[in-house]
Amino acid sequence: MGADHALGCEPQHGCITCGDEAVALWVLKVDVERELALCENDTGERETVEIALVAPVAAGDRVLVHAGTAIAELEGVGGRGSLERVAKAATA
Amino acid sequence: MRYVDEFRDPQLGRVLAGEIVTLVEPGRHYKLMEVCGGHTHSIYKYGIDDLLPENVELVHGPGCPVCVIPMGRVDDGIAMAHQPNVIFTCFGDMMRIPGSEQSLLDAKAEGADIRMVYSPLDALRIAKQNPDRDVVFFAIGFETTAPSTALTLKRARADGVTNFFCMCNHVTIVPPLRALLDSPDLRLDGFIGPGHVSTVVGARPFEFIPADYEKPIVVAGFEPLDVLQAVHMILGQLAEGRCEVENQYTRVVSYEGNLRALELLAEVFELRPHFEWRGMGFISQSGLRISEAYADFDAERRYEVPGVRVADPKACQCGEVLKGVIKPFECKVFGTACTPERPIGTCMVSSEGACAAYYNYGRFAREREVV
Repeated sequence: MGADHALGCEPQHGCITCGDEAVALWVLKVDVERELALCENDTGERETVEIALVAPVAAGDRVLVHAGTAIAELEGVGGRGSLERVAKAATA
Repeated sequence: MRYVDEFRDPQLGRVLAGEIVTLVEPGRHYKLMEVCGGHTHSIYKYGIDDLLPENVELVHGPGCPVCVIPMGRVDDGIAMAHQPNVIFTCFGDMMRIPGSEQSLLDAKAEGADIRMVYSPLDALRIAKQNPDRDVVFFAIGFETTAPSTALTLKRARADGVTNFFCMCNHVTIVPPLRALLDSPDLRLDGFIGPGHVSTVVGARPFEFIPADYEKPIVVAGFEPLDVLQAVHMILGQLAEGRCEVENQYTRVVSYEGNLRALELLAEVFELRPHFEWRGMGFISQSGLRISEAYADFDAERRYEVPGVRVADPKACQCGEVLKGVIKPFECKVFGTACTPERPIGTCMVSSEGACAAYYNYGRFAREREVV
């Protein structure tokens, strides 16, 4: 595993890739030509991520990353809509 | 943490649980399946089932990628790993999945060069660092993971890498759901749809569930409030006599999915006529293989493998667990002969497996007492 990976597979704790888990990361820097981005999680760990499936993204964007590849932009579809709907359901 | 803490608010959770109580009919039993292993994990980690009325039962589905891999495919991978000059790479949980005689971890202990990777891109990096060796990547996962494998093969081609090969075990989510719905031994009232698969495929592919089977499905996120709200939405549909595809996970899932990812999957993969699922047998058009256009990277064309179908151990009831027919603690070997340390079945290996979730979050002792 590359040293720059924020999260990896650890058999003793479970493998996040096998678990179909995706991680929300902040985009720090984008290499447009190679379609790669340096991303960081909320605890400051960094990894290089493939962004070909969500480009264009820019520094400051939030992407959902699975197996080293960004598969969605976190705010791209519904933003805070999900939480607002939870709150609405809870106070119906 | 943004988009995490808000969805773990205990006060909001208790209020939502109260609303759920108002939606259920006394005397009716509700059986809802969470398709994805990630949801199973969240449900037991956060005790979500304890917040639900007694007549709302959550049933675990087949959405844990390593849990559904049949033993014969593990044997095929091990056979490749034992080939001279091969560096075999795979994800973490896959290392411990039992084959008919050994796991990849056992094969590594015997001297095979097997390396754990976090992404297929790591495997490609190993191939570039070892140009005189063949590097085989054991690809597994649903549509969440398949785009990463597809991108890696595209990158390998663009970079002129000729010593990188992929043994493709990717599967698709819709065919097993249809197989479950056609199964006579399972009566379900609704589905919590897989959130991360849906970031790629969208909510659209699940339209057949209400259209053909008249069941509701709600695509959901993985935080506790996501799952609770999905249950609320499903029960709301049932209370109102509706059955639709609804999307709770709007912060990342769209109706159409990630079109760029879907195009890429169509370019790099093609559907196998049949693929075997552990406990579910062969399901038509449920597995992916490398397309003709990328045949140079197909490990199954480069290496002879046994290709033998291997029956699961008799004592193991992963098949029934994966279909939601029995609860993990109802399996004869759960927590005795089969534990996370010494697993017999796949569901005890992955942290997303239903058996591992039950075992790790203390359901083993408690539910046995109830039974």
